[in-house]
Amino acid sequence: MAAVLLRAVPWPAVSGITAVAVVTGAGGFAWPGGAQILFPIAFALLAGAAAFVLDEPASAVVDVTPTGRARRTAVRALALLVPLGAGTALVLAGALRAVKLPWPAVGLALAGSVLLGFAIACVARRYSGEPGTQASAAAAFVLIIPGFLPFVAQWVRPFPVTGPHPGGPSSTTFWSIAGCVCLAAIAASVPELRRRRSP
Amino acid sequence: MTETIAMGQAARPTSGLAALAGREVRRYLRNPVFLAGVVFTALAVKSWHPGRVQEIGTISAYPAIFLGGSGLIAAFWLTQSTRRSAEALDVTPTTPQARTAAICAVAIVPFALGWLSFGIFVRIQPLDGVWRYGAFSSSDRMAVLVSQIVVPTLGGPLLGIALARWVRFPGTAIVAFLFLYGWVSLISILAWAHSNSLPFVMLRFFAPFTFFTLTDGPHNVDTWRGSPWFFVGWQLGLCAVAVTVALLRGADGRRQRRLVQVLIAAAAVTVLMYALTVTGGWNHPVMSHLGQAPVPIGHSPHPTNR
Repeated sequence: MAAVLLRAVPWPAVSGITAVAVVTGAGGFAWPGGAQILFPIAFALLAGAAAFVLDEPASAVVDVTPTGRARRTAVRALALLVPLGAGTALVLAGALRAVKLPWPAVGLALAGSVLLGFAIACVARRYSGEPGTQASAAAAFVLIIPGFLPFVAQWVRPFPVTGPHPGGPSSTTFWSIAGCVCLAAIAASVPELRRRRSP
Repeated sequence: MTETIAMGQAARPTSGLAALAGREVRRYLRNPVFLAGVVFTALAVKSWHPGRVQEIGTISAYPAIFLGGSGLIAAFWLTQSTRRSAEALDVTPTTPQARTAAICAVAIVPFALGWLSFGIFVRIQPLDGVWRYGAFSSSDRMAVLVSQIVVPTLGGPLLGIALARWVRFPGTAIVAFLFLYGWVSLISILAWAHSNSLPFVMLRFFAPFTFFTLTDGPHNVDTWRGSPWFFVGWQLGLCAVAVTVALLRGADGRRQRRLVQVLIAAAAVTVLMYALTVTGGWNHPVMSHLGQAPVPIGHSPHPTNR
């Protein structure tokens, strides 16, 4: 059953965006000065890849089959291993090449980014069969745009900074909170789990 | 009667296009990604305060990112959504080019908001008399702002439509948005490090958005090489290329030949604009200091952080 469900994952979108993310992140090794720009972009792309995992063009048919939403979501979540694995390879390569970044915090940011993309897709999947485009855009906005708005950047820090800390919560604090919110959003978006919580 | 029929035939395509464009604009206005971009732009514009800005490039880019970026993704989404009903649309009395032109009309919405942002910016940060714009004339200052605030809000959606017409890959919009963001960020850093090198000047202008100035220490503003007005021409040329490429999809026969000719002409003008951008303007980067004439970078009496 899991194999059948996994076959429905839009692999070209997930693996294609992941490949672009790997190339982007690898650019940070070729030019270490650009790691602080290219790594956040690579993570935003990985979040975008995660957002496509739940896309189902035949949702009108699939949604009424006996396989519940929780099971389908759980099986499709296995596809997150692709962006997560590629991101982990990037983080490990960066750490081994001694690129100056706080790598444990970067690792947490990677896991958080992928989880964020998936959580937004889970919520959007309730309203659309193919939430990938919207969810990936939303994830990219959350990850990239805080850097442009000073009053948001003070509180939302999706990528750890190097050098003196500018104040406000750190990236690790942000992802600890955001990760919990994402898990709650995923749980709330699955009807079976909602019903189990409210008998 | 013949005259009535002739008049009806002449009027039908125009009114059909207007009706289609109106419908697409309404769909675009309801797009959550575009609406999010508008909200972010409003928040950014609200944070603009006179007197706090040391150099305009630090804040003028917001509408380009929020309206242009969200416009790209929303337009891509809007255009791709018509693919699913392509079989039904193909038997309607409208041509694919009319439908594409109708979708292209949605770019008017972010473009108008771009002009509104421009108006607010100029009201907060007047074009005359301040060194924050670097060593540009009033006319060039206007061109810098038009290129940074207004034209990207038109180009983003048009690029999204052209991509959606030709590329089926569903993640194209997000990849294009992040690629452009990364490219402009990288070449800006490279341009800062090599501001007098012609290859890096060429690289800096090979983008749909660029910075012309940089704050270099307190009360210092660097003005980089290149002509702002010709850069606006290059950006508009890219917009024309995007529209023509989008219209080419599904064109055949005589219409296709006409569109290819238009594309070649638009591409030639765009290349010319690019060459004039690179060769125009200051022939070396200069530094402006509050109340003093600009001096070439490297010969400044003022200390810099370079």
